[in-house]
Amino acid sequence: MKNVTAFVFGFNNYATEIIENLSNEYKNVNIYSLNKKDEANEKYEIKTFDLSDEWIDIEESINHENSIAFCVLEDDASNIFLTISLRASFEHLVIISLATNKESANKLQIAGANQVIPIVKTTADIISNMINRPVATKVLHNILYEESDLKIAQIMVQNTENFDGKFPADIDWSRYQGIIVLSIIHEDLSKEFIYSSQAKHKELINGDILVVTGYEADIVAFEKKIGRRHYVDWGNWSW
Amino acid sequence: MNLFKRLLVDASYAVQTSKGYQKRKRFFYNLLDNNDNIYKKYFDFSMIFLIFVSIGILIREVKHELPYHLVFFNSYIISIIFFIEYLLRLWIYGSITQAIIKRYEYDSYLGREFKLSKALRNILRFKLAYIFSIRAIIDLLAVLPFFHELRLLRVFILFRVFKLFRYTRSFQTLASVLATKKFEFFTLTMFASIVVFVSSILIYVMEANNPRSPIDSLYDAFYWSIVTISTVGYGDMVPLSDEGRFVAIVVILAGISVLAFTTSLFVSAFTEKLDEIREVKTIEDISKINKFYIICGYEEVAREVALSLHKKHKNIIVMDEDLSRVNDAKSDGFIALNYDPGSVSSYEKLHVDINTQVEAVLCLRQDDVENVYTTLTVRSINKNIKIMSLLMNGSNRKKLQFAGVDEIIYPQEIVGMIVKELVGHPVAFEAIHELRSEQSNINIHEISITKRVLENYARVGELNNKQYRLVLLGIYKNQDKFYFNPLDETFLEEGDYILIIGNKVFLQEFETQLNQKANG
Repeated sequence: MKNVTAFVFGFNNYATEIIENLSNEYKNVNIYSLNKKDEANEKYEIKTFDLSDEWIDIEESINHENSIAFCVLEDDASNIFLTISLRASFEHLVIISLATNKESANKLQIAGANQVIPIVKTTADIISNMINRPVATKVLHNILYEESDLKIAQIMVQNTENFDGKFPADIDWSRYQGIIVLSIIHEDLSKEFIYSSQAKHKELINGDILVVTGYEADIVAFEKKIGRRHYVDWGNWSW
Repeated sequence: MNLFKRLLVDASYAVQTSKGYQKRKRFFYNLLDNNDNIYKKYFDFSMIFLIFVSIGILIREVKHELPYHLVFFNSYIISIIFFIEYLLRLWIYGSITQAIIKRYEYDSYLGREFKLSKALRNILRFKLAYIFSIRAIIDLLAVLPFFHELRLLRVFILFRVFKLFRYTRSFQTLASVLATKKFEFFTLTMFASIVVFVSSILIYVMEANNPRSPIDSLYDAFYWSIVTISTVGYGDMVPLSDEGRFVAIVVILAGISVLAFTTSLFVSAFTEKLDEIREVKTIEDISKINKFYIICGYEEVAREVALSLHKKHKNIIVMDEDLSRVNDAKSDGFIALNYDPGSVSSYEKLHVDINTQVEAVLCLRQDDVENVYTTLTVRSINKNIKIMSLLMNGSNRKKLQFAGVDEIIYPQEIVGMIVKELVGHPVAFEAIHELRSEQSNINIHEISITKRVLENYARVGELNNKQYRLVLLGIYKNQDKFYFNPLDETFLEEGDYILIIGNKVFLQEFETQLNQKANG
């Protein structure tokens, strides 16, 4: 468990789902609520906060590299105010906020949220995907959310000699170690689909990152052959 | 029970249970009376054509000698066709055999002797009810030109024009709209009649003795009153005396009020019935759609889903009991009905075959109680239809499952899972999020393997997906097993789905090529 502290602002159904899913990833999950009554909750230790807070006690427990904050207040206006208030105090803190609609999502992004989850749009997209592409949705859902054997990983290329100077689009990746390469992230962070026109004319170099999918054992074997697993630096993570 | 009655009852049962007889009767019912039947409109058009031919011949006949075959066609062929139609309508109006069986079973149940006379009386009652209906009378009068030798009967060809009312639904709508204002129209007619009656007598009294006045008889006075009250005023007859002119002033003023009253009656009748007329039209349109989704409730999530499905050219029908939400759906361009999704009658009113026309019912109210209620309603109508529902409170999940929802969408859980992936596997999350996103150029498609595709592509290696710069993620077989990155030798089977990733344009081309080549 490399992450240290997660802050969840707001206590509601969304917050409880988030807290449940964070418990394996974060050593400490600090929950804050605007409602004093929530302090009496038996299951979780909840502190109260005020939107006019100066965040002095939070500042002490924040480690910018390994901390994350979730703004899940039910009222969009309060959530935007909370986000902007946190961003004003903690420039490098990763903030993820919930928004009910697109308008609030845009405002939250302007307010400094690293990632906004628009609840209505996300739910609607899932429903329409279940209708339009039921099989693909099921398979991708299994890869992403269920305990599937299939994984997605990103691997940094360190041994380009394995590719004999070939262009990435010329390699039959599906027959290469049993994995499928989906895309390449270049050193300048530009991203291309593996069979895009750019990938057809750009040689692989050490430092490029491949986004691959396959069974865990095959990914490990592929990783040993060409480089090492690349982990995301949350400090630079942004959408 | 005597032998005759016995035979009659047996014959009635035989006819009633005869599949051939019932099939034919249903066929003619659908053809003549069922507006949902696709062949009815062709039948109606044919009859309208015959009516116009008949009228055309009548007009031509006034000043020209017509060839015999045209007169024969008009007098005999068209009349016989109309008479057959009349008989068919008489036949399908109620069932004689059913009436006999009903009476027989009723009497048997009470342990009485079967009273044929009562059954016959009942049959006579409903058949006469049809025979003396306005439409049936018009139908019969339209047949009379058959006796064209009697010159007077030729004018009955005009009754064929009235038959147009039967075949043109807008006329029927007009009649039904005006029927709602029967009392008002009656009052207006009475008022106009009294004014005409009084003014006719008055103008006759004032003008008839004046040798210069054109109004010379009571008929002239009546004609003048009608022309004046209707505000037409030809000017061929005018009162000359001062008294007569005073009567004219009164009639003109009465005429203006009659005209204004008539106009306002028409307008108010149509305004009141407008929503109903629109609804009937909407339901007609819905019944013509082959496949569609029913969205129950039109709140934020429902709206987004509807817009997203619309982009994919899926047909959507929105049903909501709240008028303002229905209007929202309409302004977004969807077919929307102000029906309660939790009521069985709402689905009955749609006149659709739920099994074949409805792809799925989406219960998208942001209220679990409403969604459970709607699900139970839909399940009570159809056990097989796919139902998807929103869940707003996790504690209600079991209730929705118990009610019969096939797929539950719980936004809180979705957010929880997204957060888990975001912090745990951000790479996987981003990659998959991009594949699912409509905005991205790189997309994932699922392509169904059909017989046609199989004619030319038996194995994975033959698909040529690499030629189109596409990645074959895997094959979904037998509805439950996913084969990731299959070998080239893997056989394709009917019902399989291949999952292909790549640029949208290439994906479309690849899909077209799969089918085109198969067609070739």
